[in-house]
Amino acid sequence: MPLSNAKVADGTSAHPLQEGQTMVDSLTKVVACYRHLASCIGSSTDSASLRQELRQTRERAQKLALSCRNHLTARLRDKALSEEDRKETELQWVAFSSCLELFHADMCKVYHIGNCFSVAKNSAMVQTGMQGGATEVAARALSMPDLQEHSDVQTASMEGLDQSQLEQEIAQVDCTLEDMEMKVNVLRWTVEARGPQYADPVSADSASLALLSVDEDVSGSFCDRSQMFVVLLLCGVAVVAVVLSVCVVFLA
Amino acid sequence: MTIRNVRDHGQRYRPRMSCLKKMEAVVLEMQDPKTGVKSQTQRLVITTIPHAITGEDIVEWIANRFKIDAAEARAMGTMMVAFGYIYPLQDHKRLILKPDTSLYRFQTPYFWPAQQWPVEDTDYAIYLAKRNIRKKGLLELHEQEQYNNLHKWMNHKWDFIVMQAKEQYRAGKERKKPDRVVFDCQERAYWVVHRPPPGTISGMDCGLERMVDPNQEEIIFTQQCIMRPRVKSSVSIGALVKYTTTYKQHDPFLYPCLPSNPWLTDDVTYWHLNMPNVENPTKMRVERWTFSFGELLSDPRGRADFRLFLKKEFSGENLAFWEACEDLKWGAAATMQEKAQQIYKTFLARGAPRWINIDGKTMEITVKGLSHPHRYVLDAAQTHIYMLMKKDSYGRYLKSPVFKETQKKAVAPEAHKFSEAQLEQNAKKRRPSLSPIILRQQEEEQKAKLAASGPVDITQVMSKLAQKKATEPEQKT
Repeated sequence: MPLSNAKVADGTSAHPLQEGQTMVDSLTKVVACYRHLASCIGSSTDSASLRQELRQTRERAQKLALSCRNHLTARLRDKALSEEDRKETELQWVAFSSCLELFHADMCKVYHIGNCFSVAKNSAMVQTGMQGGATEVAARALSMPDLQEHSDVQTASMEGLDQSQLEQEIAQVDCTLEDMEMKVNVLRWTVEARGPQYADPVSADSASLALLSVDEDVSGSFCDRSQMFVVLLLCGVAVVAVVLSVCVVFLA
Repeated sequence: MTIRNVRDHGQRYRPRMSCLKKMEAVVLEMQDPKTGVKSQTQRLVITTIPHAITGEDIVEWIANRFKIDAAEARAMGTMMVAFGYIYPLQDHKRLILKPDTSLYRFQTPYFWPAQQWPVEDTDYAIYLAKRNIRKKGLLELHEQEQYNNLHKWMNHKWDFIVMQAKEQYRAGKERKKPDRVVFDCQERAYWVVHRPPPGTISGMDCGLERMVDPNQEEIIFTQQCIMRPRVKSSVSIGALVKYTTTYKQHDPFLYPCLPSNPWLTDDVTYWHLNMPNVENPTKMRVERWTFSFGELLSDPRGRADFRLFLKKEFSGENLAFWEACEDLKWGAAATMQEKAQQIYKTFLARGAPRWINIDGKTMEITVKGLSHPHRYVLDAAQTHIYMLMKKDSYGRYLKSPVFKETQKKAVAPEAHKFSEAQLEQNAKKRRPSLSPIILRQQEEEQKAKLAASGPVDITQVMSKLAQKKATEPEQKT
C-alpha cells in the first residue's frame, strides 16, 4: 500500500481509489498522533497548550473523517463498481471505520480525564516523568512544519466550552459510526487483508538505534554506570602514569 | 468495524471495581509536592528522567497516611502496582512492590485501568505490531502466539493495524528521547497489567464470563428466600419425628408385614387380606384409619366403613358430595359439564334432594363458577365439606359402634414361617395377579351397587323425623 508523506496531498488524484487511500492514510496518521497527545493528558506535561493541540488535532481528524466518509460511502453505494475496485474500497472502509472507533475511544478517554484534571483550576497532575510537550506530534498531525506558541492561559470557562464541544463531537462520531453501519453493508468476513502479517521493521536510522539501546538497557543502566566508573578509574591511572613518566623525563 | 465481543466478563453488571476510584484518589494524594511521596531522578546512560520513586518510600508513605503497619502497606502498594497505577522500572514483568530502593513511576491517567472501557484487542494488536517494529521481529513467545491469534481473528483489519502501528511509531519518534522512553515504558506496563504473560495473574482478572446480570439473579434469589414460608427447625423436626413414630410399624422395610411380604416369600396372602373391598380388614389397616382423616378416606374399605357410619347418622350427603367432586376433578373432560350440572342439582340447589350445608360465601363463589364450569370449580365447597367431616364426623366415627365393630372383627394374621423348600415351592407357584381391567370392572360394579342402594332423600327423612320423636343424633352439619 502506498504510504503518504508527512505533508498530506489534499487529494485531487485522478483515480478515486488512490484518493480514498490517501484520505484513509492521513486519517490514520492524525488518529495516531491524537493517541500520543491523549496519553499526555493528566500527566506532568499537561498544560493549556496540550489541550489546544488536542483540540486542533481533533478538529482536523473530524474534517478528514467527514470527507473520507462521504467519499467512501459514495463509492460503495455506486452499483457500477468493478469487483476489484470494490474489494479495495471495502478494505479502505474497514480501515476507516476502525480509525474512527479508535478515535472515538480516545476522545472518550480525553473527555473523562479532562473532567478529572483541569488545567485552569491547577489541579494536581500525575508526575509521570514526561518533560517535553508533544508539540512536534501535533505539528505532524496538522502537517505544519511548526506550531506557533499559544498563550498558556486557559480559563475555566474556556475549558468548560472545550469539554462541552468535545462531548458534542463524541456524540457526532457515535452517530457517524451508526450511520455508516446502516448505510453501507460491508461484510466483515469477506474482507481480507492484503498487507503483510508483520509490519516490516522500518529502515534503521541512528536515532532509533540509540533509542533502542536506551530502552533495552534501562534495566542494565546501573551496570553500565559501574562499568563507566571502572573505565574512568583506569584512564585516571593511565594519566597519572603518563604524568609521572614525563616528570621523570624532565627531571632526568 | 469491530465485532463487539462482549468480553468484559459481566463487569458492567458488577462494579466491584469501585476500588479503582478510591485508588485514583490515593494516587493523586501521592503527587502532592509537600506531603506526597519523595521523587527522584532516574539516571540512564544518556539522559535523566525525573519522577521516579523508590519502593521503600512508597511503603513508608502509605503506612503513614493510613496508619497501618509496614506489611499491610506493602500489600496495598502491591495492589496498586498490580492494578497498574504504579509500574516498576526494573523487572517490569513482576507487578509487586519491593520495599527497597527499586524504582517505580506513576502511570499516566490515559493508561489507568478503567471499567467503562474494556481493553480492546485492536489496541493490543497495534501495540504488538509496534513492538515488532522496534525489536525487529523478536517478540516474546506468548506475545508471538497472541499476535498470530489476533491476526487470524482480526484479519479483516490487519492492514489497518499494521498501518496504525507504523504511524504511531513514527509519531512517537517525533518526541524527545526521554519522553519516548517514558512512553514506551508506560505502554509496556499497561499491557503487562492487561495481557499478563502466561503463568502470572492479572490484577484485573474478573473471573468467569457472565452473560446474565449476577446482581439480578441475587436479587431474585433473596426475594424468593424472603417469601418462602419458614418453620422453626424444631417444629419441622418434630413433625418428622411424629410421622416416623406413627408410621414406623406400617413400613414394610422397617417391620415385617403380616403374614409375610409377598415379594420376599411369594405368598400372596397379604394382598388377598388387603383387597380394597374385603369384608374384614386387617388390624394394621384399621389402625391406619385412626392416624388421619385422609388415611381413612383414601382407603376404599375405610371409606366404605365411614359411609356406613354416616348413613346411620343421616349425614351421608357430605361424603357423597365429596366423592362427586373428586369424580369431577379426576374424571374425563367430555362429561365434565353434565357432571357439574348434576352435582349442582343434587347437592347445591335450593331444595335439592341431598342438600349440603355450606356457608353463604362459598355457595356464592361456587354458583358463580358453575356458570363456566371447569375441573376445579367445586374446589372451595369440597374443601369446606372435607374440613367439616374431618373436624366433626371423623371424631364421632372413631368412637362409634360401627368402627368398634370393625375393629373387633379385624383379622390379625400370624406370621408365616417358611422353610427353604417351601419358599422354592412358593416361587414355582407364582401366578400373575388379576388383570387391571377386571379390577376396574369390579370397581364399576361396586359403584353401581352403591348408587342403586339409593341416596337418602333428605326431605323424606326430615318429614319422618318430624313425625318421630327419636333420640337419634341430629345432623350437626
